[in-house]
Amino acid sequence: MSFPISPRSRRSDGPSRRQVVAGAASGLALAALAPVAARAETLVDFVRRVTDGVAPVEGGVKLEIPALVENGNSVDVHVAIESPMTEASYVRWIHLIAEKNPFPDMARLHLSPRAGRAEVATTLRLAQSQTVAAVVAHSDGRYAIATAPVVVTLSACIDGG
Amino acid sequence: MFNARITLPPQAKPGEIVEIKVLVRHPMDRGGQSDGRGGTVPRKILNRMTATYAGAEIFRIDMNTGVAANPFVSFMTRAIETGDILFEWREDGGATYTRTARLTVA
Repeated sequence: MSFPISPRSRRSDGPSRRQVVAGAASGLALAALAPVAARAETLVDFVRRVTDGVAPVEGGVKLEIPALVENGNSVDVHVAIESPMTEASYVRWIHLIAEKNPFPDMARLHLSPRAGRAEVATTLRLAQSQTVAAVVAHSDGRYAIATAPVVVTLSACIDGG
Repeated sequence: MFNARITLPPQAKPGEIVEIKVLVRHPMDRGGQSDGRGGTVPRKILNRMTATYAGAEIFRIDMNTGVAANPFVSFMTRAIETGDILFEWREDGGATYTRTARLTVA
């Protein structure tokens, strides 16, 4: 698996506006849209990609993010995980996913037992209203997840140029 | 354009868990915007920050374009000994920046 935080992790493209218009113009709109509708990556797919196919369990992760933000350019997020943070059992990493961003993998935070407490915070960009997920990898191979819906009134992806 | 502000407690007891806050000034250009001359701006973000303290890496964040401009990061660490915490950032294109912050343990 290629490392998820890379330019290659961009979502697979849907049909461009130009393709849809061209298809409609030639009277083939239905035929052109049918194969595309069958494949749209969802949050589940992005999560499976970082956990190597394992379905994470809910619980033990507290994801704090505002339910409504006016501006998607900088959204505070705080993640706290129940973990003893000892050599025997600690949080390896926390992966933040925004399902509808152009690059859904936003950041991966790597911790070590020396953290003492599994608690981190950062600032994110959100392209639109969507569900944000924090996937947590524990040292014993377990995966946990917490999700939160966020409403964004002004997105982060407006091109000023 | 790079500037980092690192906040940690002035003093900590041995074994105490301290919070380290890092605020960086960086545009985190996600690329693809128009440059006004018919082309597009290349991506230029800080893609990694590592923190090293008392001989080991205590924290690392891999960042993609989903991290805000002027990113803020906070994390915890257990105070072990008096010493410098070394922060290192890696930028697209290969540039690196380093800063240190001293943690006093008494």
